[in-house]
Amino acid sequence: MTNGEPILALDNVRIRHDERDNWTPNGVTLDVADGEVVLILGPSGSGKSTLALSLNGLIPHSISATIEGTVTCGGRLVADTGVAELSEQVAMVFQNPDAQIVTGTVLDEVCFGPENLRLGVDEVMHRAELALRHVGLWDRRTENPDRLSLGGRQRLAIACALAMRSRLLVLDEPTANLDPAGIDEVYQVLHALVSGEGEQVPHSIVLIEHNLDAAIDLVDRVVVLDEAGTLVLDGPVRPTLLDNLDQLVRMGVWLPVSTLAALRLHGCGIELDPLPLTPAELTRSVDALPRVPAVAARRNVDPVERPIQISVRELSVTRGRTPVLHGVNLDIRAQEFLAIVGTNGAGKTTLVQAIAGVVAPPRGAVRVGDLDPGRASVRELSSTIGFVFQNPEHQFITHTVFDELAHGLRIRGVDEQRVAARVDEMLDRFGLGDLRAVHPFLLSGGQKRRLSVGTALIAGAPILALDEPTFGQDRERAAELLGLLRELNDDGTTVLVVTHDMQLVADYASQVAVMQAGRLTAHGPTAQIIADADLMIAAGLRLPPLATAMRNLVNHPQWHGITRLQDLPGA
Amino acid sequence: MTQPTQAAAGLDPYNDTADYGPWRFLHRLNPLSKAAALLPVMVLVIFTRDIYTPLLILLLTVALILVGAHLSRRALVTLLVGLPVFVVVIATSFGLWTAPGDVDHSVILFQIGEYRFYLGAFLIGLATSLRLSSLLVMALLGGLTTTGPDMVRSMVQQLKVPYRIGYTALAAYRFVPRFGFELETIRQAHRVRGVAGGRGPIAAFKRYYGYVIPLLAGAIRHAERVALAMDSRAFGAHPTRTERFLVPFRVRDWVFVLAFWAAVAVIVVTSPPG
Repeated sequence: MTNGEPILALDNVRIRHDERDNWTPNGVTLDVADGEVVLILGPSGSGKSTLALSLNGLIPHSISATIEGTVTCGGRLVADTGVAELSEQVAMVFQNPDAQIVTGTVLDEVCFGPENLRLGVDEVMHRAELALRHVGLWDRRTENPDRLSLGGRQRLAIACALAMRSRLLVLDEPTANLDPAGIDEVYQVLHALVSGEGEQVPHSIVLIEHNLDAAIDLVDRVVVLDEAGTLVLDGPVRPTLLDNLDQLVRMGVWLPVSTLAALRLHGCGIELDPLPLTPAELTRSVDALPRVPAVAARRNVDPVERPIQISVRELSVTRGRTPVLHGVNLDIRAQEFLAIVGTNGAGKTTLVQAIAGVVAPPRGAVRVGDLDPGRASVRELSSTIGFVFQNPEHQFITHTVFDELAHGLRIRGVDEQRVAARVDEMLDRFGLGDLRAVHPFLLSGGQKRRLSVGTALIAGAPILALDEPTFGQDRERAAELLGLLRELNDDGTTVLVVTHDMQLVADYASQVAVMQAGRLTAHGPTAQIIADADLMIAAGLRLPPLATAMRNLVNHPQWHGITRLQDLPGA
Repeated sequence: MTQPTQAAAGLDPYNDTADYGPWRFLHRLNPLSKAAALLPVMVLVIFTRDIYTPLLILLLTVALILVGAHLSRRALVTLLVGLPVFVVVIATSFGLWTAPGDVDHSVILFQIGEYRFYLGAFLIGLATSLRLSSLLVMALLGGLTTTGPDMVRSMVQQLKVPYRIGYTALAAYRFVPRFGFELETIRQAHRVRGVAGGRGPIAAFKRYYGYVIPLLAGAIRHAERVALAMDSRAFGAHPTRTERFLVPFRVRDWVFVLAFWAAVAVIVVTSPPG
């Protein structure tokens, strides 16, 4: 390859999956130069991931889709080159680390790619060592990948990509499944890669990421697709984002929280200059203001007024021989919106499963309303607390959306007329009215999630518990779901959510319970918990970006407690 | 037995054969030599009708395992206590099924009412039981001392099985615990929805049938993703791939196969006629 020739060139690329009618992406032309880091943005459905799959030839060689226009990678036409051959030009990292692991040890995993290229054993080992050292896993090379944390497994996937020694690295939502500590790990690795640390060959990177707050420091250039999959913006990060804010917001592209904060302030006449993209920039811009308006103290949900609805006393749970929960005590009042946070493996899911009776807790340890989930029957429980699993598909048991909702009533012997009336009401409530006869598995991701919430509530449960409802989803769908939960909460439903997305916690939860290594380390109003940086760090969590920016203010300490956008003065 | 060409041997039982020294020689043999030694004998045992042949083959195999294999305490108990119990229980059960007209009536072991259990019936049951047990123990000899990856490696290296098949099977092996976990989650989810739906085999069948769709949907999606990830890393690019670990077929493997066959031949030849 000669100097100056782009490593990747797309010419008017449009792709249509065989079972779909529309072309997304639709007409994308772009070059990626050697060493460039390009972020691809766009609302869900704009075809970002589809585009990524076409860069190393998985489309059209492995996935049945029609592609028009040309993709040229490392000087070779992708349409005429096999995926395996292209792997020497482009390496891929996908969203789910578990779906990328094929062998039994960390070392074998990294060697897998180079072995497929028929490199000599010495070269294979040399590459494997460099790649593993780069992601900090060389010392764990003999272990089974399953024993790494999720973040560790994603770093392993990056090492596997590095070992291919291709000059372009494509990452498709690499942190969507990770907890905050895992996201940090992955971005540290990517930063080191871009700054050329270690002996790695320089890489160009194409990154698809909804978590802009993590990615923004890394990238040189941003490419924006609109909902129809058309390339609408392409240029250096800062001017491209900041000069087109209105258009981006209109298109539904998720902006960095710091920028959204500036937009909100703009709404009430406070102009930040320069416009911030990162928490550090937001801190600087706000500190530069001569004065800021006072903010109203956050409205606290009056915890004393409401009766205790769920009480957990000295709850300990062991799985096999491993203790998972140690003597947890927790009171939850009616109409709270409680977020249970912590890293993977901290015991969050076990706690909420014990409360909802999914896994029966020891008798007497938990009370939900008048029930002991350790004794109560499924029917009694499901009219008191509804549980939504991480993957809604696991809960579907009938063949139409209507039957799915009706099931919870029919097992109670409710007569068909009342079933129909109640189900119709729920269908309307959750925007599924037109889909009543559709098989639940054929719904979109967001619709499946809404249906599973509907089925959990149909029997009239006043409490709803959800296990990682935003796991692996993009920001839009996560926000849509949480908006729905907030409406339910406003209407009187108590909501328990297991999550590690701290900005969502800050924006929606009224109370937070922090889990760490099977123990409850803190429980209290959201603002108070999030303000405790030491506690957050100790639990492997991170402050949400807005809280970080506000806490670091020097000139305007009265804004230190702000953690969510609604707290800022705005229009 | 695996020769690490450069890296230190791993500690994970999933991957590399741990080496337990020269005495535990079964771990150092090529997986194929164990298969070659055992498979013909397994076929032979199926066609035996006497007690002597399967009994001695059983004892020979157990002795080999006790000497040549590194056993966990549980495996040891299974072998020394569980196996004799298994032999007796199966022998008695088969004996009960034997048509009483065909057996030697000279010795009565016990009598319940009109039913007489003759020694002859027990011996017929014992022959069957020993056949089953020796098959089981021979399978155990291979299973306890061979890892999946080594089996795949030797099949690719010596039997020239296409590596695409071998290593894909190995990758699929990783799916097993994942699907186990997923099935457990689905069961919990269905239980929470109130699908308990009664006892008995029909209700159980209906319940399990309900797990199939979500399990399959998840499995297919997962398999597709893994396949894409493997494609992206040049799997299948070339007719061969680098083997970092060689699993040679050495003189000791020939010696093991021939010695085992010879021992079995002696047993067969010396078995009393009829």
